[in-house]
Amino acid sequence: MSRTFSPAPPVPRGRRAGRAAGRFGQYAALLCYLVFLAFPLLWLLSTSFKSPQELGSIDPTWIPREPSLENYRIAFDAHPLARSALNSLLVAGSAALIAVTIAVPAAYVMVRYRSRVSKAGTVWILVSQMFPLVLIIIPLFLVLKNLQMINSLPGLVLVYVVWNLPFSLWMLQGYVKAVPLSLEEAAAVDGASRLRVLTGVVLPLLTPGLVATLMFSFVTAWNEFFFALVLLKSPERQTMSVILTHFVGAEGVADLGPLAAASFLATLPSLLFFALLQRRLVNGMLAGSVKG
Amino acid sequence: MRALHRRTLRAGTAAALALCLAVLAGCGNGDDAADGTVTLDFLSLAWQAESVTAYQALVDEWNEANPDVQVRYVQGSWDNIHDQLLTSFMGGEAPDIIHNDASDLTDFANGGYLADLTGLLPESLVEDIPQQAWDTTAYEGGTYGVPFLQEPRVLVANTRLLEEAGVRVPTPEDPWTWDEFEEVSADLTRDTDGDGDTDTYGVAWSMKEPVTQSVNLSLSTGGRIFDREDGENVIRFGDDESAVAELISRQVNEDGTAPRSSLGMSGSDTLPGFFADRYAMLPLNFSFRQQVDQQAPDDFEWSVLPMPSGGGEDGLAQGVAPQTLSVAEDAEDQQAAADFIAHLTRAEHAMDLARGDWMLPTSETALADPSLNTAEHGWRTGVELAAHLRPSPVLGVRGYPEWKDKIATPAFQEFYSGAFGLSELRGRLRDDGNRVLDRYQR
Amino acid sequence: MSLTARRAKAVPGNRGTPPPRTPAGRKRALGLDRGAWFLLLPALIPILVLSAGPLLYGVALAFTDEQAGRTESAEFVGLLNFTDLRHDSLFWESFRVGLVWAVCVTTLQFVLALGLALLLNQNLRFRWLARTLALVPWAMPEVVVGIMWRLVYHQDAGILNKTLSQLGLIGENVDWLTNMSLALPAVIVVGIWAGMPQTTVVLLAGLQNVPHELREAAHIDGAGLWRRFTTVTWPALRPVVLAITALNFIWNFNSFGLVYVLTQGGPGSQTRLPMLFAYEEAFKYGQFGYAAAMGLVMVAVIAVLLAVFLRNRLKEDSE
Repeated sequence: MSRTFSPAPPVPRGRRAGRAAGRFGQYAALLCYLVFLAFPLLWLLSTSFKSPQELGSIDPTWIPREPSLENYRIAFDAHPLARSALNSLLVAGSAALIAVTIAVPAAYVMVRYRSRVSKAGTVWILVSQMFPLVLIIIPLFLVLKNLQMINSLPGLVLVYVVWNLPFSLWMLQGYVKAVPLSLEEAAAVDGASRLRVLTGVVLPLLTPGLVATLMFSFVTAWNEFFFALVLLKSPERQTMSVILTHFVGAEGVADLGPLAAASFLATLPSLLFFALLQRRLVNGMLAGSVKG
Repeated sequence: MRALHRRTLRAGTAAALALCLAVLAGCGNGDDAADGTVTLDFLSLAWQAESVTAYQALVDEWNEANPDVQVRYVQGSWDNIHDQLLTSFMGGEAPDIIHNDASDLTDFANGGYLADLTGLLPESLVEDIPQQAWDTTAYEGGTYGVPFLQEPRVLVANTRLLEEAGVRVPTPEDPWTWDEFEEVSADLTRDTDGDGDTDTYGVAWSMKEPVTQSVNLSLSTGGRIFDREDGENVIRFGDDESAVAELISRQVNEDGTAPRSSLGMSGSDTLPGFFADRYAMLPLNFSFRQQVDQQAPDDFEWSVLPMPSGGGEDGLAQGVAPQTLSVAEDAEDQQAAADFIAHLTRAEHAMDLARGDWMLPTSETALADPSLNTAEHGWRTGVELAAHLRPSPVLGVRGYPEWKDKIATPAFQEFYSGAFGLSELRGRLRDDGNRVLDRYQR
Repeated sequence: MSLTARRAKAVPGNRGTPPPRTPAGRKRALGLDRGAWFLLLPALIPILVLSAGPLLYGVALAFTDEQAGRTESAEFVGLLNFTDLRHDSLFWESFRVGLVWAVCVTTLQFVLALGLALLLNQNLRFRWLARTLALVPWAMPEVVVGIMWRLVYHQDAGILNKTLSQLGLIGENVDWLTNMSLALPAVIVVGIWAGMPQTTVVLLAGLQNVPHELREAAHIDGAGLWRRFTTVTWPALRPVVLAITALNFIWNFNSFGLVYVLTQGGPGSQTRLPMLFAYEEAFKYGQFGYAAAMGLVMVAVIAVLLAVFLRNRLKEDSE
């Protein structure tokens, strides 16, 4: 079984005729996907350089007629963007790392042990995702108040960790299941402890799943809005997603240009994070570890 | 490879810990000083850059003059104010001074979350704001907020198209009647290229929020919408109430002088079409002038007209729900909070705030200020309409939000788009609606 | 975790792993030995404090008349909320809308995301860029997503109508979000768009489990693309597919924020999702008891649907 986890990229060798056409089709399909998925970002970028007058025009263009940085200036002047971005980064980063760190061993136990706790865990995961968030917020608020964690970033991190755990556990279970048991048995026979087996054998094989989960946790926390809104009172602690709503006025009227500018900036960290992590999403670090 | 992986893992864990420590370090400081000074949180909903600056300046001024009562400016958003307040009220962590609008106060006052301001406000302020405005924040004998800014709905019109059509330009002294308005809309509707499709509509009704508009405008034809019978609120929707709604539906579905597609738009959605001559007139809130001014092409001329009159003395009447400042029942020092509100709403300050938000101050002294009585941007039209503003009928009615969301919004939307007629609309609003209200009045 | 790799007396559990070899390892609580508890606790404690407690509280609310306001305290009302709910025809109508929405979004999301994941798994040029760009919807905050799509769908000044009429596909501008029959499909497209990256990433990570040699062997055997997919890729991917589809369904059924920004439930009640009902009941009207009852009913219905969908995975778990 271990041979099946070789690191070779999935490029079928020895293609016959039609290969070029197939390639072309793949690129074309990919292009369609990217246009569909990424065009709002371009639109956001374009909007952020437009004047209010151009935004009121009935004839929208992709390239701003008179591009200006005015919206960025307004956005930075009116609201503490840099500070809130830093808050978001701290909160989302910590929440993602902590959630994944504690989810891996738990998911492992839930997969490898048959017990009532594991079953209860599975039920809890699903129910907690099904139950309307709106009903949990107020009791949660009261619990955090008793823990003296209202209006504090660690409190928010804690909420996000718990908030991200169900997904992390659920997905990681799927990835753990795919790890061949034979590898673990071999290590166990060698006398490795449970923890050793987990960190030495299972974890390296989980890399793509870990990265996917990490991305998910980070982005969820980065974009999360409602908890941040009700839990943080001090202006200097507010996160990016809360600050963005300050560009929206009564009856959904929005200060579109500055909002687009701020939103574009708010989108960048996540994209950067993706760009850095995406490689790990597929290659994994399978080669060395599997031989063990 | 394995060793390498271990290292990255270890580094990752260490980084996580470091991050947590950094977060914790940044958050150790508490809120309350121990030296006897009071710190009050002021949740402000100002959102345009200029008005944020205006509010912050007033807060700074207060803090300078009152070292014992420091006010902290906290930015909120109209988008989610209700949810934020409800959660923090229930959790006992509400801000002390709250900026909101009158329609949101009923439930909070009923829930006991807001302080009754009776006796806490200086006499001069009480007298400077007309009774009509105070009525908007009254609930069961108490006053739960200071109404300080309000805005009528007005017609923003394309000046050139009006001139081309040669129609009479209305003023608050001599407004159009609703009939006249219907004719003017027809005069303004054009098929300029003769292809059979309308190129310019007389008016675009932006009905993303159909209920508030339909209810508030019905006052001009003598409508009341909510009646009190035996101390209970009952919905009525007779001819007086339905006249304006019928006219709008007629314009969309029969006259073809208003586009059906704008019914789902918000006010700002209609602006691009307005600048491009697709719509000649827009019924908008007074503060939308700021957006119109900002977005209009350089050579675009626009004017601000009063909404049509339903005839009679009160023909220009319309309902409003002013912006308000309230004090939380749990506020650390209710009197100090009320004093701060009095500071914000002093005539000269109220005027600054009104100009920052392009709205009208309720303060009569501020309203009389010459700087507001200018023809520029239609300020004068608004000032002249101020006397016609009445408390919106929906204020103080428990259960109104639910009636609005579940019954009235879909009913009005379908009625305006021509899905059914007046009798069906009546039935839904009244019969289904009263069932909803009853649940709140058991 | 490797920092703490001291000699815990942990031993492997079941599923063909060797039986416990030390006496300490046989001490088990609820079917778990000490080592397992040690691994589980970091996740368990925050869950018990911050999730299980509030969750039970929420369930209890459904049997009370809890309302917002500090003047009255809640009383136990038994099943009253549920009998009220049975006659709430508006709620059931929105339930139908919610099912259409959740099924359409989940299915299409999955099909499209699978295609994208397979493409991104190929050795194409610039795939790092493609992988990053494919995640754009995920990176955009929800407030912004709603406002952006309103602009895209805008009838007069929207880029969609402009593009379509330039291509000659439509003669007159379409009112995507306010048309009775177009509104729901239009918001479903946004729903798919917003949820695709997540599904794609999960599937892409899942594809790494596909034994490459098997695929090659199948290739050499002359199996076609489709056969290779059904015999090799799909079986390995299946657990991940089930997991993400189930969660997607739950999430989609429970979501309403995006749709609310786009249409506020209109036109009429065409896009009024059931969770919007519960949300408004709780936060706008302050009827927490009734809202909790709605929540429970939704949990029950989804649970039944999921049990059918996931019966195999659940069976595996209990084996």
